[in-house]
Amino acid sequence: MTRAMLKLLTATSAAVLISGATIAAHHSFAAFSMQGEKTISGTVKQFDWTNPHTWIWVNVPNEQGVVETWAIEGMSPNFLGRRGWTKSTLKAGDKISVVIRPMRDGSKGGMFVRATLAEGKVLLQTGEPTEP
Amino acid sequence: MLDGILQLDGLGTIRGMVETRVRRIVAALVIAISPIWVIAAFAQTPAPKPPAAADWAAIAKLPDFTGVWELSFGGGRGGGRGAAPGGPPQGPQLTAAAIAKRKQLQSEAREDNQTANCLPPGMPGIMGQPYPMEFLMTPGLVTIVIEAYTQVRHIYTDGRALPSDPDLKFHGTSVGRWEGDTLVVETVGFSPLTEIAANVPHGDKMRIVERFRLADPDTMTIQTTVADPDVLTAPYTSTRTLKRHRTWTIAEYICEENNRNFVDQNGKAGINLNQAGTPAK
Repeated sequence: MTRAMLKLLTATSAAVLISGATIAAHHSFAAFSMQGEKTISGTVKQFDWTNPHTWIWVNVPNEQGVVETWAIEGMSPNFLGRRGWTKSTLKAGDKISVVIRPMRDGSKGGMFVRATLAEGKVLLQTGEPTEP
Repeated sequence: MLDGILQLDGLGTIRGMVETRVRRIVAALVIAISPIWVIAAFAQTPAPKPPAAADWAAIAKLPDFTGVWELSFGGGRGGGRGAAPGGPPQGPQLTAAAIAKRKQLQSEAREDNQTANCLPPGMPGIMGQPYPMEFLMTPGLVTIVIEAYTQVRHIYTDGRALPSDPDLKFHGTSVGRWEGDTLVVETVGFSPLTEIAANVPHGDKMRIVERFRLADPDTMTIQTTVADPDVLTAPYTSTRTLKRHRTWTIAEYICEENNRNFVDQNGKAGINLNQAGTPAK
């Protein structure tokens, strides 16, 4: 197969995936630095168990000791509810360390990758659903 | 009218014809202004019969699709199936016009589509979401309750024809028929706000045929064929596999509840991180 034929094939077929399911069904990853990784540690201020995404609001003291609130986007309650999470998985006051894909624009937020709670429990948002 | 037929000789025939014509005109006028005629003109389809016990009994003989299903992420996530082993990748082949359109859209580098603003994807994308769907079977109708974006598809199995000039809708208009154990669904009339794939808008003539069947009592396959002569050089077929989850129920999904994602008119994606307005606890 010639290079030109390969190029044509790529342009007309392989890149088009008709309506394939993606985990990010609701929006793209454009706002996040998907190669970046940042760990933030602090205290849960609020946990929004809401659609289309859950949000963990974490109070984090900055280098000057001033508390800043970070916003971490997670999968939906529907998706997480079938993977062991509940609305009480996180509560205000919980100590938490969260690995995120940070916002590309540098604002205080990001996409959830994994979290560790005070007692060492690790929280993930992926995997196959668990049958009750 | 009877007079006109009987008086077939001489003057009687002519008189009878004239009388018949007058009577016909009068009759036509009476019919034209009749309320019954007015009602009939608006009745597009005959009133459906209420379902009888036999109609419900007939459903019990069909394959049981009822219940909650979710795409199996182990396989069947779009993409072509049935390619010869070792052969070239089988994918949809775009027309020259569709390739040009895709290049133009790609050059605009839109970061997201309108689902970020909570607009549902419509067909065919709505059938590929990572959320379950519930199938209901009632006389003359298969209903698919789709958790993602809280959507519903109605598939009429009462023998009606597809509309010749359908309104353009996110899920189109669907009719279904049973071919043995397979529910064959044809859908036409799609909103211009839906697309075949990213940067591939559909044409006016897109037609989707889905073949739903049970591979086993807890496994459903949906073979989807998208035909769109303006966009695809040949109909494109893909197959998805769904698993039944007998203990699940469909959850609420109100996209506008706390949507912080957005895409603006220039295709720039963003997230609103302002905590003001977040749901009260």
